[in-house]
Amino acid sequence: MATVVTPRGEEYVERLERVWKPRPGLVGWLTTTDHKRIGILYFFTTLLFFGAGGVEALLIRTQLIGPNGHVLSPQAFDEVFTMHGITMIFLFVIPMTTGAFGNYLLPLMIGARDMAFPRMNAVSYWIFLGSGIFMYVGMVTGHAPNAGWFDYVPLASKTYSPSSNIDFYGWGLIFNGISSTAASVNFIVTIFKMRAPGMSLNRMPLFCYAFLAAAFSLLFALPALSCATLFLELDRQLGFHFYDTAHGGNPLLWQNLFWIFGHPEVYIIILPAFGIATSIIPTFTHRRMVFFPLVALSEVLVAFLGFGVWAHHMFAVGFATITTIYFAAVSLIIVIPSAIQLFAWIATILTGKPDFKTPLLFIVGFIVWFIMGGLSGITLAAIPFDQQVTDSYYVVAHFHMVIFGAAVYPILGGMHYWFPKVTGRMYNEAVGKLSFWLTFLGTLLTFFPMHIVGLVGMPRRNYTYPANMGWTGLNFTETIGAYILASGLVLIVLNLFISRFRGEPSQDPFHGDTLEWATTSPPPHYNFAVIPTVTTPYNMYDEKDREHDNVRLDRGEGVLATGHETPATTAQDGALDEVLEMPSYSWWPPIVGLLLACFFAMLLVAHWWIAAGFFVLGLLALFAWHNQEPSDT
Amino acid sequence: MTGTSGEPVPLGRAAVPPGVPPSVHRARQRQAAPNGIWGMVLFLCAEITLFGTIIGSYYYLDFNSVHWPQAGIAPEPVAQPSLATAWLVVTLLPIWWANRQAHRGRRESAIEWILFALAVQAGYLAFQIHLYINDFHHFQPQHSAYGSIYYTLMTLDHAHVAFGLALDLVLIVRLATKGLSNYWLIGVRGLAIYWYVVVAITVIVLFVQLTPSL
Repeated sequence: MATVVTPRGEEYVERLERVWKPRPGLVGWLTTTDHKRIGILYFFTTLLFFGAGGVEALLIRTQLIGPNGHVLSPQAFDEVFTMHGITMIFLFVIPMTTGAFGNYLLPLMIGARDMAFPRMNAVSYWIFLGSGIFMYVGMVTGHAPNAGWFDYVPLASKTYSPSSNIDFYGWGLIFNGISSTAASVNFIVTIFKMRAPGMSLNRMPLFCYAFLAAAFSLLFALPALSCATLFLELDRQLGFHFYDTAHGGNPLLWQNLFWIFGHPEVYIIILPAFGIATSIIPTFTHRRMVFFPLVALSEVLVAFLGFGVWAHHMFAVGFATITTIYFAAVSLIIVIPSAIQLFAWIATILTGKPDFKTPLLFIVGFIVWFIMGGLSGITLAAIPFDQQVTDSYYVVAHFHMVIFGAAVYPILGGMHYWFPKVTGRMYNEAVGKLSFWLTFLGTLLTFFPMHIVGLVGMPRRNYTYPANMGWTGLNFTETIGAYILASGLVLIVLNLFISRFRGEPSQDPFHGDTLEWATTSPPPHYNFAVIPTVTTPYNMYDEKDREHDNVRLDRGEGVLATGHETPATTAQDGALDEVLEMPSYSWWPPIVGLLLACFFAMLLVAHWWIAAGFFVLGLLALFAWHNQEPSDT
Repeated sequence: MTGTSGEPVPLGRAAVPPGVPPSVHRARQRQAAPNGIWGMVLFLCAEITLFGTIIGSYYYLDFNSVHWPQAGIAPEPVAQPSLATAWLVVTLLPIWWANRQAHRGRRESAIEWILFALAVQAGYLAFQIHLYINDFHHFQPQHSAYGSIYYTLMTLDHAHVAFGLALDLVLIVRLATKGLSNYWLIGVRGLAIYWYVVVAITVIVLFVQLTPSL
């Protein structure tokens, strides 16, 4: 929607431009606390990791294209499939959704000028970057983690994995977890406290509900992973006995702790994808979301129930029958809120006027894969079936349908949907559709045959297979599919890259319904010239609100141009409470990130006193950071 | 409160009554908890979950062991750690009072009470370190799974007490040099909440520590 700015309004805009002007050049990027810049940093960093994870996937598939393959040695294969899992989960999907999409879009969607804690937002990014480099240093030095992304003991214990491969995993994930914990705190406070006045909880976009549910899950799930990996490193580096049966330890403790984190993790991955889907579907079907309150409740319920299903990953370990039945039952119950959302998406598309542009195509693809992955998930909740297919390619097929099909497709759809918002230019629609069909075909050919090859007995994590097992044709199909899939993904990146420079200038090509479209594309550093008026959940459908914003800008109401200011509101009703002064830049986040990287590097090489020194320096840096109040910058 | 245009006047923009520090007036008028307190509470939720997971692991190992503690380790004596924890619980009073004083605009009094709490808490930590070293002479973490989980739990518990002491110190220095700014007034409240949670966790850790002796 075009904003009509009067000469008086123009004066306020000029003042905002002066106040919010970022520092120039590289220093500006290093010291930035602007959520949009941090979102862009996350985007490109995670895209690089996605590229690395994708190359690893292609190496795995090339190794398995035929029987008795020799592309990778058994040791290299172990490292590659482990790093593929770690990269895609910890260094791509979570940081891409929460870090890139969440950071860039969430404050815009709720009418805020920044996240609740801008400096902590920056430090989350620098820690994430440090942890990613930390884990990849292992790969460069030939010591990449090699016991699978789940890192089961006793295989991961010092006895069976004496080299430092597993230590890169253990310390790397604790390091990464600090970033995710800080980010989740930031998202929760931003959503509850930084909404534009008038945006009560029932007027908040579904995107925000999804991110809120994911942030809560992250906050309460990560300590289990940190605890498990801390125990592992204490066992490995200091000779403790948490997982050592000879001294009263228990290897199943690792599995329990890992999956107490690991299953909520699936929803942490997929909930933001749900949020992206619920943003794209109403825009491209030209109608409001069906069952809005039910979808919001389902998003929260999925996150909550996700904490009660972890042992369905452990049906084969020999639990008591009553235990497995409980976990199977909860695993089936969680289908209900997931299905509510699924029916709501389908009903919205069927009852609207769908315009099958690239973003909606990716969401339709997401729905297809989510149904397939969901159905195979129901089969895995059946205990006898699960015990039969555990550690087979059937499980690999299931979680790739869910994680790639259902989580990455909305990311790809979102990249197209918000491309004009971020760049002010339009992507090439024809190339976008072609890339969708290539990706869709590649996904189908890569992951669907894995169900069959798993059912006929092919175990996962084996670096090769003999010729006479009947698996050759299906594996060949999967590998061809993987290359088609990769070509689709490369085409998406090329399309967006070229369109960034040559695309048609565009402000709001899709007529999106949430507040990010109320400002210019790309948004100014202050996001909104006037803090937006909000009276409905579909903010852009209410033209009176936007006209009222123009009147308020002319009067100078809600402009907040005396500093880096943004309003804080009450948690439930979104009533205006106070005006906050936000920091504009800080050197402390990259410094804290660097000191933490040194700390974990010293832990890795067991230089405890030097590590302690870096830890103390990190604490001092944290205190020095708080010495600088937001109004000082 | 509304301004001339009928729009609500947000805090930080409203007139401050004479004799009241702006930050204190702002805190009194605020309808909802400030962002800093939300952040502190959420970080503490993560910390509580971390301790919950370690304590859960303690009992998981306990229930799956034939002997607990494992052979060669005598159960902890009850009196000394209980007295030390009671000592720490008492420090909640000066912390609570310091927060009250800060929110009444009495900076010097708030500093004095935090300083008093810091001294008592430092005494607690010193005594606990003495008990810790004493335990170390009897058994090490490398002895068994019990030793491993015992020392991990105690080390982390003492570490977050030590972190609390560092927060006390920072607050004292900042209140003395910068005064009761809005930022540091929220900091005092955050510190109080931190200590309430640390003390609650320490009481639970004490219970876990003493279960083999009970």
